[in-house]
Amino acid sequence: MTVTHGEARLSSTARRPSRPHRAGAVARRQRLVAYMLLAPAVLVLVVLAAYPLVFSGVLSFKVDPLYNPDVAHFIGWRNYEDLFDNKRFWKSVRLTLTWAAVVVTIQMVLGFFIAVLLDRQMRGAGLLRALFIIPVFVSPIAMGLTWRFIFEPVSGLANWILNTGFGLEKLSWLSHKDSALTTLMIVDCWQWTPFVALILLAGMQSISPEITEAARLDRVRGFTYYTRIVIPLIRPVIMVVILIRLVDSIRIFDLNWVMTEGGPGSATLMASVYDYTIFKQGHLGLMAAYGFLILILINIIVVAFLNSLYRTEKAARIAELN
Amino acid sequence: MWGMNTKQAINLLAVVVVILWLIPVIWVAINSIKPTNIINAPIPTFYSFTPTVEHYIEIFDRFQFDRAIFNSLVTVGVSTLIVMILALPAAYAVARMGLMRGDTWALVILSLRFMPGVVIVLPYFKMANWLGIHDTQILLIIVYVAFGLPFAVWILRGFLLDLPKEVEEAGRLDGLGWIQIIFRLILPMAAPGIAVTTIFTFVFSWNEYLFALFLTTSKATTMPVALQKTIDIYNVLWGSLSAGAMIQLLPMVIVVFLLQRHIARGLALGAVK
Repeated sequence: MTVTHGEARLSSTARRPSRPHRAGAVARRQRLVAYMLLAPAVLVLVVLAAYPLVFSGVLSFKVDPLYNPDVAHFIGWRNYEDLFDNKRFWKSVRLTLTWAAVVVTIQMVLGFFIAVLLDRQMRGAGLLRALFIIPVFVSPIAMGLTWRFIFEPVSGLANWILNTGFGLEKLSWLSHKDSALTTLMIVDCWQWTPFVALILLAGMQSISPEITEAARLDRVRGFTYYTRIVIPLIRPVIMVVILIRLVDSIRIFDLNWVMTEGGPGSATLMASVYDYTIFKQGHLGLMAAYGFLILILINIIVVAFLNSLYRTEKAARIAELN
Repeated sequence: MWGMNTKQAINLLAVVVVILWLIPVIWVAINSIKPTNIINAPIPTFYSFTPTVEHYIEIFDRFQFDRAIFNSLVTVGVSTLIVMILALPAAYAVARMGLMRGDTWALVILSLRFMPGVVIVLPYFKMANWLGIHDTQILLIIVYVAFGLPFAVWILRGFLLDLPKEVEEAGRLDGLGWIQIIFRLILPMAAPGIAVTTIFTFVFSWNEYLFALFLTTSKATTMPVALQKTIDIYNVLWGSLSAGAMIQLLPMVIVVFLLQRHIARGLALGAVK
């Protein structure tokens, strides 16, 4: 880099910490600048995200009909009590947790295998990865509606392939209460397995060649190579992917709403969609209460995860990424 | 097997998996240029039809998709710009300025991203009604800034931490002030990270549905909401839906294609740093 003389003089303060008390002053000034740089973002987040959160919390103790806001008043814990007394609420919690556990497990396992599959030197590997990441970036609405079309019982592509291609019975997919949730899971895994696979792949590719070479010399390969060397090394990446996917699965709304609206019956009525139906009935206080319960659930999971992650992360940090 | 060794067989498997995975996307593309009577025929076909642009015309004529595209571009574009302007200094501060508890700041900021949309949307809904800004682009821009900012800071921080520790030191030795160090050294070196973060912020809002559904009715409707209007109980227009979906998907696919390598790396960096 070239620096002209004039520019060098402009920034002479940074070059002058020769006397000892100046070093402290410079550090203090830098800290001040750091807080100034951080302040706008934090301020915006407090106003736009934290404040609405508090507002929602207050609302959850009120009765506040959407179509008749004038009668709004505080009712204490009634909204929460109503939820806990409601069978449908408990069913939606159960459904959501089952959903999250199943889809995240499938996505992690499948994503890991596909990452292994793509973690190799071959011509066109970059192109393959670029193609594979597409599902992550396409809109869940566009694809959810398209999947609905694919799962049409009579003329859909899925049944046609089953029937004509493999000679199997046609399935009811989204239109039956026993198969709707599984069908949704298939679509969610279609969309998010590539996300998991590509982050794990990036983690795998950051393992230094020396480690790979040492493993090869020690004849550690195949299954053992992955369980003994790769997985421990990329553990922080794995944990963060699980965390992101877990939170997003619990919050699931888009796919759930455009593909089934919680039906048939209440077979796929998961937390966010259930909360939206409460909104449509106009019970804003009740909606806020349920939203808050989802938030608490997510926070418990996040805190538990981050605890276990940061306890080991410092020790097991991947050397090459530093 | 057929003269292939194991390595070639695995390569072939990788190719097959990826192609099978993309069938739904290919299916949208094909249906968007298929005549309606063939779309509704009981036997699906991938190729035996005469291509048509009727659905692309219909999505504009009947569903005002031009307005949806315009709204999406404005709300998502402006909010992404604001997010980046706020996120860059913040990420730099938590990543490289020796801020006390920089990690904690980053975590607190990220934790806001974990809020369920249904909790946050309600206050905005009420606020919009008081202020009379329901169904406006301003409202969506505000919400998208709130939701895009945490993740943007998080990913950028990963990229900035990944730059060599000596950058600022070298700049200082060359006599640069910190403003110059940021603009002449850090920003150019972090360019891929900035690009990836911009893409992520853009895509999240571009595909966002819940807020758009709650906070718009007709004037400020974005593409995902407009898209859903092609489907109601009486009338399922698969052709128009596919055409609209293509218009929404294509720009994302192109951008992702160009930045694929950096995207996965960026997420992994955010994860381990």
